[in-house]
Amino acid sequence: MPDMMDQATFRTALETAIKGKSATRSPFSVAWAEGKLSRAHLCRWAENHYHYVGPFAEYLAYVYARLPAHMTEAKDFMLSNMYEEEIGGDRHTDLLIRFAEACGTSAARVKDPDNMSPTTRGLQSWCYSVAMREDPIVAIAGLVVGLESQVPSIYRRQTPTLREKYGFTDEEVEFFDLHIVSDEIHGERGYQIVLSYATTPDLQRQCLKICEVGAQMRLLYTNALYHNYVENDLPLRELDLAA
Amino acid sequence: MPNVVLHKSGEAFRGEVAAETNLVVRAGIRQFPYPHLTYGCGMGKCGRCACRVLAGAGHLPAPNWKETRRLGERIGQGFRLVCQLWVTHDIELHQDDALNAAAPRPREG
Repeated sequence: MPDMMDQATFRTALETAIKGKSATRSPFSVAWAEGKLSRAHLCRWAENHYHYVGPFAEYLAYVYARLPAHMTEAKDFMLSNMYEEEIGGDRHTDLLIRFAEACGTSAARVKDPDNMSPTTRGLQSWCYSVAMREDPIVAIAGLVVGLESQVPSIYRRQTPTLREKYGFTDEEVEFFDLHIVSDEIHGERGYQIVLSYATTPDLQRQCLKICEVGAQMRLLYTNALYHNYVENDLPLRELDLAA
Repeated sequence: MPNVVLHKSGEAFRGEVAAETNLVVRAGIRQFPYPHLTYGCGMGKCGRCACRVLAGAGHLPAPNWKETRRLGERIGQGFRLVCQLWVTHDIELHQDDALNAAAPRPREG
């Protein structure tokens, strides 16, 4: 049985677990950052992404319900995260649909689950599974630390590109802007909760493992977007994947 | 490291933050200016984080489209939405929750 890590060591281990399989170097992300995706590619992204992030508050709700009553801080965090996703300002998925419409697809197509790939369905199912089955602290590690905390760094790179290379307006890309603030709060608070409540070596080990798997799942999803929708138009040799 | 002063309810709260810090993010993760800075949606919509900039405004970028829409004429009086700002230099702010609650709603569209 490994020793209990102090919080600083545990945090570094979590960051390493996530970084190891980061989706930022996937062909789809590279093509996006280089401004090489077409509006049609971005439509397909939005039609898939909706089904991954759309139920995020639902994932969190299952975790919230299973957190013991004495974990007040963790419960409050989950509740405010859900509130901010859905009704704290504009509903986040409405902003995603606004972007999708600017790309040329429709709200109906975005909401239609038949338009997501099997891999996206797998990622969504994994999120529900984690939320319903894992220890609640492990679930927070997987969903919030492993997935949600990655978003600011991804969108920070993508948002200027959307304006400068793809020509979208500020309003059309608001979905990406808001995540820089709210997901930064959620990701960091998620870290604080996991660091505080993962109080045994086994819980720490499970948190690290689920971060690793979560990052793999996100990479799988992003790679599938490339292979399903982009590869025929933009082969790997045309992307700068070396960096 | 920028020094931040937040005036509120007759008191002044001081703290040092890293460069390129968003004060709403800081408050959201329970660090200074938490619990003194009031904020809401974190997306430039609700206006609850609005503050008048008393010093340091010269180092801030021009108000963005969300601030223009939400604050309207208050921009001319030195108000900014703190959720839209990444602080790089010393700054002194004043926040009045009652004033923010009474402020006119933004035009939609």
